[in-house]
Amino acid sequence: MNIIKVTIFSLVLMLALSSCKDDVIDNLDNKYTDEIANTVDGVIFKTYEELDSKAGSLESNLNALSYVTTAEQLENARQAWREARIPWEQSEGFLFGPVDSKGIDPSIDSWPVNVEDLNAVLNSKDSLTKEYVDLLEGTLKGFHTIEWILFGESGDKKIEDISRREFEYLIACAKSLKGSTSQLLLEWSPSGGNFGTIVKSAGTGNNQVYPSQKSVLLEFSNGIITIADEVANGKIDEPFSNQNLLFEESRFSANSKNDFADNIRSIQNMYLGGIGKEGSGLSTIVKSKDLALDNEIRASIADAINAIEGIHGTFSEAVFNNKADVANAQKKVRDLLQLLESKLHPFLNQL
Amino acid sequence: MTNRVIICICLWMFLVVTSCSFDDDKIESVSLAGGETTVEAEFSNAFQIPAPNMSMEEFDFHRQGDALFEGIFITPPAPAMGGLGPLFVQNSCASCHKKNGSAAFPLSSGDMGGVLARVSLPGHDNPYSILPVPGYGTQIQTKATFGVLPEAKLSYHTTTVEGSMMDGTKYNLRQPNFFLENFYVPFPSNAQMSIRIAPPILGLGLLEAIREEDIVAWSDPEDKDVDGISGRPNYVYDIRTKSERLGRFGWKANQSDLYNQTAQAYLEDMGVTSPFLTKDPSYGQLQHDNKDDDPEIPELTVLATTFYTQSLGVPDQRRKNDGEVIYGKKLFHFIGCQSCHKSEVKTGIHPEYSFLSNQTIHPYTDLLLHDMGEELADHRPDGKANGLEWRTPPLWGIGLREVVGGHTNYLHDGRARNVEEAILWHGGEALKSRENYKKLSKSDRQKLLLFLNSL
Repeated sequence: MNIIKVTIFSLVLMLALSSCKDDVIDNLDNKYTDEIANTVDGVIFKTYEELDSKAGSLESNLNALSYVTTAEQLENARQAWREARIPWEQSEGFLFGPVDSKGIDPSIDSWPVNVEDLNAVLNSKDSLTKEYVDLLEGTLKGFHTIEWILFGESGDKKIEDISRREFEYLIACAKSLKGSTSQLLLEWSPSGGNFGTIVKSAGTGNNQVYPSQKSVLLEFSNGIITIADEVANGKIDEPFSNQNLLFEESRFSANSKNDFADNIRSIQNMYLGGIGKEGSGLSTIVKSKDLALDNEIRASIADAINAIEGIHGTFSEAVFNNKADVANAQKKVRDLLQLLESKLHPFLNQL
Repeated sequence: MTNRVIICICLWMFLVVTSCSFDDDKIESVSLAGGETTVEAEFSNAFQIPAPNMSMEEFDFHRQGDALFEGIFITPPAPAMGGLGPLFVQNSCASCHKKNGSAAFPLSSGDMGGVLARVSLPGHDNPYSILPVPGYGTQIQTKATFGVLPEAKLSYHTTTVEGSMMDGTKYNLRQPNFFLENFYVPFPSNAQMSIRIAPPILGLGLLEAIREEDIVAWSDPEDKDVDGISGRPNYVYDIRTKSERLGRFGWKANQSDLYNQTAQAYLEDMGVTSPFLTKDPSYGQLQHDNKDDDPEIPELTVLATTFYTQSLGVPDQRRKNDGEVIYGKKLFHFIGCQSCHKSEVKTGIHPEYSFLSNQTIHPYTDLLLHDMGEELADHRPDGKANGLEWRTPPLWGIGLREVVGGHTNYLHDGRARNVEEAILWHGGEALKSRENYKKLSKSDRQKLLLFLNSL
């Protein structure tokens, strides 16, 4: 019975539908397998590995701090926080995939800190464990909550100012952060979510996420454009144009300049296809066809990093006292942004 | 994420897209998905690109809205971004609409992500509004600031529904059964509940610009043309005009425009009061914070956030000259999908923004309510929508959901795990189309899905 119905339906269908054009599908030659694979393995995966490792070091240092309550150990813990911050900021040029779709980012880098609730948590009698912190909102954990406790609102907290509850909470937050960085790494790993393979297999088989290698190259370029925009028009612009440090993200630790520079290094790594070194990546593709553009992009990235690191004093100070430095850094990042948008993205789109 | 300079690249994208060849045959039409707001994008930020045909002033306002959409609220008092709660669902717009896409079906009970529960008692307290549940209101806030109890926990379990295509191919559907537990005060047993998942927000300004008379003209509540498709407009209360207006947005078309949608989301989803909605969801309940801080955000914040949702570009259909995609589109028409998922619409004059006006667009919706059958029914009225009806959701961008959000969950509660499952859940007025789909050969089903995933 079903067969008869299907046959009749198919006959009607044949009569109803005129013949269709059989246009050539936008098949790509998959010429960029090496550049994509190298960027995934040599930049993205390695950055997440480093992040997970540094999150582990931070946890160890905060554990030690709860036993060795000295100014020296406090500085060790702060340095561990700064070092863990580096790979995170260097990952912000590729904020696509599980970091967003699996909701991992808010557990690592939510901002601002919910100080009202944080004080309430610390003043409560709740047991401050990793499992407890895991269930809290992102604004009560992650890098900035640890930063707030470790450095203090004004950045001048002393070891004797840290309460026993705060030590407990720091450890619980560090364990939770480590859990998030490990999850992120796993999501990209073949043994976990295997997102890295999804990216690397673009344009092959039935890849529903990235049906072509070009879509991945545009994902890469869109990622670095997004962070260039964020640095120029968000992270620098909001505190600078409003002359208000409430908009400065890493002000407790005075780490903002490092954040900005590492964000631009994230662009550099993704462009070069290697962490702080030459690899096979977007640059390889660009320079094979347009050496001048490749040189222009490399120079613009270097200019932006130099201008950020050339800001005198902390960013908090410079917002008010070294406005020319800040304006120059912002301009250099905007120049880079414009270059990426107006030349790199169209270049890749035309491949 | 966005920048003044992006306008240049979007204009460039627009030029690239418009240079494509056109075909006279309407079904084989390759015109732009969002008219002049169309962008070309096949990556994770595809739903976050501003419409390229805005003025620079409008673009600056879009940027303000972008920052607000991403902004995370915290517990008041706070020097910035205070206003959260005390009861809420999520603490930012972007928490539910990740990268402006739709929320995923929750991985486990407890953290529902971008899924929420609307509740009410049977009956109406006026022609447009439902009866709130005492102590709870009309939406369950599953989170709370420290020291306050969430109203309840939303949980679910699933069962499997089996079926088969006419060619004998078997399939399984995931049937979720959501329920509330851990109530902070007793919850009446006769309360009705409707589960809603956060939808994608692309192209909403264009939907706002569709002429009301066109939407009404598409309706056929008595099914006078005897095609089995009725379609009714919803009519809802507008907080600004304080009058009845046509409903366009939300799973049951229960919001008249994007200002209403935005203000309501600030209130019910984040517990943030604004000038037209000054009483937070806990008002009159045991856990109200009694703070004299309302409204917690100014009018400009609501307007900028609203504008952000009005001014996003629409990614164009991909591979639209592919013969199999074109064939799939013909099948889409042939089995009757276009009766509700209208493929081509022309916008009228948008009351505020000319870049949204007079655009020929391809949203694949009629913005009308349709009886979708018992299997999808929530049995909870909303405005003039009854418990069997849902508004036709737009389909543009449907094939980009995975790269944007990492999932392919569809329908009002995210139960469908892919586009095919969404088709197979259709009932009621859409039952005939579903049965027609089941009669297609495997090859034709694949072509139809290829077309849908090209949108």
